[in-house]
Amino acid sequence: MKKVIISVIGRDRPGIIAAVSAALLDQDCNIENVNQTILQSEFSGIFIVTGPKRLSADELQRLLREKLDPMGLHIHTKDMTDDEPEFSIGESEPFIIVTRGPDRKGLVAAFTRIIADYGANVTNLQAVFKGGDDPGNNSMIYEVDVPAAADQQALDRDLRKKAVELGLDISIQHRRIFKALNRI
Amino acid sequence: MLDRREIISTLEMVQNENLDVRAVTMGINLFDCVSHDPEQLKKNIYDKITRLASRLVDTCERVGKKYGIPVVNKRIAVSPIAAVGAPFSADQLVDVARTMNRAAKDVNIDFIGGFSALVEKGISNGDQALIEAIPHALAETERVCASVNVASTRAGINMDAILLMGRIIKQAAAITADADGLACAKLCVFANIPQDIPFMAGAYLGIGEADAVINVGVSGPGVVKNAVERAVGKNPELSLGQLSEVIKRTAFKVTRVGELIGREVADELNIRFGICDLSLAPTPNVGDSVGEIFQSLGLLSIGVPGTTAALAMLNDAVKKGGAFASSHVGGLSGAFIPVSEDLNIGESAANGYLSLEKLEAITSVCSVGLDMVALPGDTSEETLSGIIADEMAIGVINKKTTATRLIPVPGKKAGESAFFGGLLGKSIIMPVNNEKGANPFIRRGGRIPAPIQSMVN
Repeated sequence: MKKVIISVIGRDRPGIIAAVSAALLDQDCNIENVNQTILQSEFSGIFIVTGPKRLSADELQRLLREKLDPMGLHIHTKDMTDDEPEFSIGESEPFIIVTRGPDRKGLVAAFTRIIADYGANVTNLQAVFKGGDDPGNNSMIYEVDVPAAADQQALDRDLRKKAVELGLDISIQHRRIFKALNRI
Repeated sequence: MLDRREIISTLEMVQNENLDVRAVTMGINLFDCVSHDPEQLKKNIYDKITRLASRLVDTCERVGKKYGIPVVNKRIAVSPIAAVGAPFSADQLVDVARTMNRAAKDVNIDFIGGFSALVEKGISNGDQALIEAIPHALAETERVCASVNVASTRAGINMDAILLMGRIIKQAAAITADADGLACAKLCVFANIPQDIPFMAGAYLGIGEADAVINVGVSGPGVVKNAVERAVGKNPELSLGQLSEVIKRTAFKVTRVGELIGREVADELNIRFGICDLSLAPTPNVGDSVGEIFQSLGLLSIGVPGTTAALAMLNDAVKKGGAFASSHVGGLSGAFIPVSEDLNIGESAANGYLSLEKLEAITSVCSVGLDMVALPGDTSEETLSGIIADEMAIGVINKKTTATRLIPVPGKKAGESAFFGGLLGKSIIMPVNNEKGANPFIRRGGRIPAPIQSMVN
């Protein structure tokens, strides 16, 4: 058996997962992981499947496209090999960085550049810009693993400095506080 | 993955609703500092406090920053000095207070509690010396706080001690007359004092406690008030049962924050975590007032009819939410209603909505008692003792903590204002019934016996 990762993108509507999973079943593939989200009107899903050895990622892509192109879905597949070492950040602490304030070009690029420079890894990012005065409607939430070896104070300082430059409110808090407050 | 609403609502609580940790208090046992030589005793006390607490403030700041939750006050509570310094005279104990003050200053904390005596059943030589030392100890230091437990449900009410405290409070006021009797703002008289209070002025480390412990006082009333206002804003028809649920959920969150930060500070200092105190402790700032919660619930002002019922509901909801959030709840754990320290309560007293008698009535359903109450300077020792005795009786009969922090403001009359500064705030001076009169009942002294524990009506 081999593992293949598949991305599916298209305008959201009922039946996308049903169609994709039926097409995978036709090829004798088993879904191991799936995650989907909807951004504005667009569906995006990532599937990790195991399938027969004879079935290459390219062949699977061709077969899926045959069935799903008529629905306007864009399919991309890639073999998952065991040769590539899995990324591990090592000892780290999870922080939540939230910025609030008006949208402009380059916000995500600016913050992720700083985060990357410190070797920290973004594990989840939600950004919503709906306009209007409500800062809750114009925010970015980064979940970030910060390596224990990184200079956390300097990272904190650089992020805050950037937020001031861009006219945004920023908060940087350890993830545990959100779980403590909201989960039993 | 965290829910977006969870993250945004948490941020709202921190940024707009004053969610913080009100006090992290390190309890330090001083019994191993005892010596026959007063100089050695003072050296031992100074060394132990500064050794254990040298990293307290830095650690609180660092942990607070990590979670984005400020730790507002960092404090120390020590073993009752009446027992630690039992062989010494009042003058020598004033010297011990100076040492405590110096240690507090050197580790950069604002208050140190434990200049205390436990005399609910009788007054030992050490207790007597400590109580006599209180006026000068508090007048000559800035950071030392004193407390005296004069009653308990198991021992009854020590009326001799209460009479003595009436005199001590007058003396403390007199020697700080130029500061409106400020020394009295650092002195609490208790019934059923808990051993693990993190809040001042009543904090001391009980005899049954570990060598060192971290106790935490949770966030203030601003969060609760905002939660109530938000809920009522969405649905003006909310019933009190539904509002009680809102308060309970908020208390849960507030307590979880306190416990998380307290435990991490304790871990970093390698000291055992003790308790979370669930008390809603106001400050003299707008938006951080217990009095404002009453208004958000629909009362004109604290003190009007309905106040006792509202406070009973508030206090109970806070306890229920807090008890679910933390497995170690202790200290006072109730709403504070300090007149001068709560802007809104101070204004209610000034506007005539809140009288001393109503204040006493509502202390039967909350902690702590008649807290930061400014009285006319001419109030007699016996009248002060009578007020204390009444408050102690409420605690003793109801098996709960009560306390008084009374300030007879020298040279001032009812209706004038007293200024204590900083967190201690300012207050209108409240009129007192039988202000200057004698009180033969109080003068009889002795001990009111411990109450029967059955027949609870």
